[in-house]
Amino acid sequence: MSALPQTDNQTAGGRPARRLNLRDAGWLAAPAVLLLAAVLVYPLAIIVLRSFSEPEPGLQNYIWFFGSPVNRAVLQRTFVLSGWVTLASLICAYPYAYAMTVVGKNLRLILILCVLVPFWLSGVVRTLAWVILLQDSGVINSILRGLGLSPVKLIRTQLGVVIGMTQVLLPFMILPIYSVMKGIDTRLLQAARSLGAKPWRAFLQIYVPLSLPGVYAGAIIVFILSLGFYITPALLGGPRSTMLSSLVQNQVLSLLNWGRGGAMGVVLLVATFILLAIAAPLMRQKHTQTRREK
Amino acid sequence: MKKINFGLAVMMACAVSVPALAQDKAVAGEVAEGSLKGKTLTFVSYGGIYQDGQVAALQDFVQKSGVTLLNDGPTETAKLQAQVESGNVSWDVVDTADLPPYVHCGTLFQKLDFSKLDISKIPEGQVGECSVPAMNYGVVLMYKNDTYKDNPPTSWKDFFDTEKFPGVRAIDGSGDPVGGLIEQGFIAAGGDAKAMTADDIEKGIEKIRALGPDTIYWKTGAESQQLAESGEADMIMMWTGRAMTAVKNGAQYTPVWQDWLVVMDQLTIPVGAKDPDASYALINAYLGKEAQEILTEKTSYTPINLDSKPKVDDATAAFLTNTPERIKQGFQQNIPFWVKNFDLASEKWSALLSGN
Amino acid sequence: MQLSSRIFLGLFCLLVAILLLAPTLVVIPMSFNSNKSLAFPPAGFSWQWYDNFFTNPEWLLSLRNSFLIATVVAILATTLGTLAAFGVTRAAARTGGLLRAILITPMVVPGVVLAIGIYAVYLDTGLVGTVAGFVFAHTMLAIPFVLIAVSASLEVFDRRLETAAASLGAGKLTVFRTVTLPLILPGVLSGALFAFITSFDEIIVALFITSPYLKTLPVQIYSSITRDADPTVAAVGTLLFLATSFIIVAGLLIGMRRGRT
Repeated sequence: MSALPQTDNQTAGGRPARRLNLRDAGWLAAPAVLLLAAVLVYPLAIIVLRSFSEPEPGLQNYIWFFGSPVNRAVLQRTFVLSGWVTLASLICAYPYAYAMTVVGKNLRLILILCVLVPFWLSGVVRTLAWVILLQDSGVINSILRGLGLSPVKLIRTQLGVVIGMTQVLLPFMILPIYSVMKGIDTRLLQAARSLGAKPWRAFLQIYVPLSLPGVYAGAIIVFILSLGFYITPALLGGPRSTMLSSLVQNQVLSLLNWGRGGAMGVVLLVATFILLAIAAPLMRQKHTQTRREK
Repeated sequence: MKKINFGLAVMMACAVSVPALAQDKAVAGEVAEGSLKGKTLTFVSYGGIYQDGQVAALQDFVQKSGVTLLNDGPTETAKLQAQVESGNVSWDVVDTADLPPYVHCGTLFQKLDFSKLDISKIPEGQVGECSVPAMNYGVVLMYKNDTYKDNPPTSWKDFFDTEKFPGVRAIDGSGDPVGGLIEQGFIAAGGDAKAMTADDIEKGIEKIRALGPDTIYWKTGAESQQLAESGEADMIMMWTGRAMTAVKNGAQYTPVWQDWLVVMDQLTIPVGAKDPDASYALINAYLGKEAQEILTEKTSYTPINLDSKPKVDDATAAFLTNTPERIKQGFQQNIPFWVKNFDLASEKWSALLSGN
Repeated sequence: MQLSSRIFLGLFCLLVAILLLAPTLVVIPMSFNSNKSLAFPPAGFSWQWYDNFFTNPEWLLSLRNSFLIATVVAILATTLGTLAAFGVTRAAARTGGLLRAILITPMVVPGVVLAIGIYAVYLDTGLVGTVAGFVFAHTMLAIPFVLIAVSASLEVFDRRLETAAASLGAGKLTVFRTVTLPLILPGVLSGALFAFITSFDEIIVALFITSPYLKTLPVQIYSSITRDADPTVAAVGTLLFLATSFIIVAGLLIGMRRGRT
C-alpha cells in the first residue's frame, strides 16, 4: 500500500502533459460512486427516514420493535442462527481449505470444482434442492427409515435452516481461507519441526495463527450474509425459525407498513456495520501479516 | 386511387361497427374475433392447478381475441394496494378471496359496469358491486390416514381437540383472515357463531393459537398440497381442488365433509387498471358455459354458469362441492359480519401468523 | 503428516465435498417426475417438465429477460468497475482505501434492507418492472466483484511498462489499449463473468421490483416453488447445474492449459 503515492509521483513526472490534469486518479471512480449514491445510499436514506417518520414523526417504530417480545426473540434468533451457521461452515471449511493446499494438482482441481460449482449455482436452485431433501418424506428421512431409524423433523425447523444455510454459504468461507493458506510458506512448519516441535504443536502455533486473517474474513462474510439471508430461511423455515429478513419483507410487502419495516431494516443495517467495525482491525492484520511473510 | 378508396371504406366500416359493438349486449363466453390484438392482460390468481385451470378455461378467449395473457400471483391485497397508491397498476383482472372486494369496493376494486358483463347465468346472490364470482369451492379438513387409523376426526371440533387428536395441524395462512375457521374456533370454544360479536373474534383466534407452536401456516395452495404429499401434517385445512390434486398424486389423506367451509373466489378489476374494457372482455369470456366446464374438469371447483355441464372423472367427482349431499353439509361464514369487522380481524389474524 | 490424521482429513474432506455438491443433485431425478409434485421419491419417468420449460412462454421469457439484463449489467459494471479499479489503485493511498470501502458496501448491506429501499425509490420513479430498473440495481450489486477482480490484476501490474510506452511517444489511449488492457484482461474478463452471474442469479431485489411484464428467471423459479410445486423448477435447476458445471470445468481446463505453456 505504501508504494502507491510513489507510483503516483512517477506518473506525474513521467507522462507527457495532458490537457485534463486530474490531480487525483480517484475521479475515475466517480461514475461508479454516482451509481452507488443513486441506487444504494439514496434508497437506504429513504428507509432510515421512513423509519422515523411513518406514520408520524417520532421513535414509535423503534419503540414498537424493541417493545415486542416476539421481535426481540426474532432478533436474537437471527444472531444465534447466524452464529451457528458461521461456526458450522468454519468447521467444514478449515480442514477442507487446508487439504486444498496440500494435495496434488489433479485432486486439488476436483476439490476446487466442488467449491466453485455450488458457489456459482443459483442460490434459489440450491435451496429448492434442500426443500426436496428435508421434507418429512424427503431423501434424508427416507434413508433414516430405510435404516430402521425414526424420521426427524427437519423442514420448518431451525436445524433445517442451519443445514441449508451452511451449505449455501460454505463456499464463502472456504475461498477466503484457502486464498490465505495458499500464501503460507509451509517451510515454516518444517523449520519448527526440525527444531523439535511436535507436528500438531507446530501446526497450532505457527500455521493456525498465519491462517487467521482468512478465517476472520470468511467468518465475517458468512455471518453478515447470514444476518440478511432471506430466500433459504423463507423456503426452509417455519414460524419458529423466522429470521429478521422475513419480518422486514412481511411488514413491507404484506402489511405496507414502511415505518415498521424500515425500523427493522435499520436495526439490521446498524448491526451489520457495528460488526464490520469490530472486525475491521482483525482484517487489517492481514496486511501486516502478509508483509511479515514477505 | 383504389387504395384510398379501400382505406376510406375500412374507416367507414370501423366508424359504423365500433358503436355497434359497444351497443351489443355482452354475452357470457363470447368475445369478438381479433378484438384485443396487440394488447396484454395480466391475470392474477393463486397459482397451481387452480390458475392452470383458469388459464385453460381462457384459452379460447386468448385465441379468439388475440390478446397476450400474462399470469401473476399469488393475489395479495397489500401488493395491489401498493400498485394503486403508486398509480402504476400492472394487474388487470384479479381473483380474490371472498371478502376483499366487499371491503375495498371502490377504493382498490372498481365498481363494475354490468352492461359490459353478462351475469344472467350466475347463480343468484353471488354478484357484488365490485365483483363477480370466480367459482365456488370449499375449505375442507383433510386428515392423515396413518395417524388416526380407526378413530379419525369427524368435525372441526376434533380439529381443535389436541388431546383426543394429537398431531400437527396446518392452516391456511395465505393472507386474509379465514372467517369460517375463526367461527369454527369460536364454536369449539363453546360460542354461538350466529351471535358472534367483534369481541368474540379474539376468542375464536385464541382457539387456533391454542393448537400450539407446531402448527404450520401455509402460504400458498401449492404449499398445502406439498404438506399433504409429503405427509408432514396430520390435519390440514385445504382448498378442495388442492386436496383433490394431492390425493391424485398419492397423498394418503381423507376429507371430512361435515361443515366444510363454503368459499367463493371473486373476480375483480383493480382501480386504475390500464384497459378496463379489455378486463371486462376477459371476465365476460370467463363466465361462459364452456369456460366454466373446462375449469371444473381441471380443478373440481363448482362452475358459476348455471348452464355448465362439466364431465368429470371419479377422482374429481369425489371433491365436487355442488352435489345435494355436500350442499347440505356446507358451513357458510357470516360474510356481512366479516366485512364489517375486516380490519380488526386482519390485525388479529396477522398477529396470530407472526407468532404474536 | 501422520497416516492416521491424513486418512481422517481425507474422509472429512470427502464428506464436505459431498455436502457441497450432492444435495443439489437431487433436483435431477425430480425433474423427470411424471407427477406434478415435488414429493420424494419421484414417480415414473417423463420429459414433460423439460418440454414445458422450452415451450412455455413464461419460462422462456424470463430466461430471455435474465440473459438480456445480465448482459447489459456485465458490460456496464465491467466498464464502471474497471474505471473505478484504476481510480482506487492509482489514487493517493487514503483516497483509494476510502473509495474501495465505499464501493464494496453493496456486498455487506443486508439484501432485504437494500431491496425495500430500492423498491421504495422505484415505486416513486416508475422504475418497478423495467429493464432499466433491474440494470441499475444489478450493476450496483455487481461493481464490487469487478472492482475486486480488476484491482487484483492492477496491483501486480508493473506501471513502469506504461511509463516506458508513454516515453516512446504513445498517447494515453494507445498505452491503455496496447499495454495496460492486454495485461489486465484476465482480471477484466473474470470481473465481467462475476457481474453477469451476479445479475443472472440475483433474487432478493428482483423479488421486490419485479412485475408481471418483467420477471427474471430466479423470480420465476421462486414463484414456481412457492405457487405451483411444479417439477419444471427441477428441470430448470438441472439445466442450470449442467451449464454451470460445464462453464467451470471449461474455465479450469483453459486455465490449466495456459498455466502449462
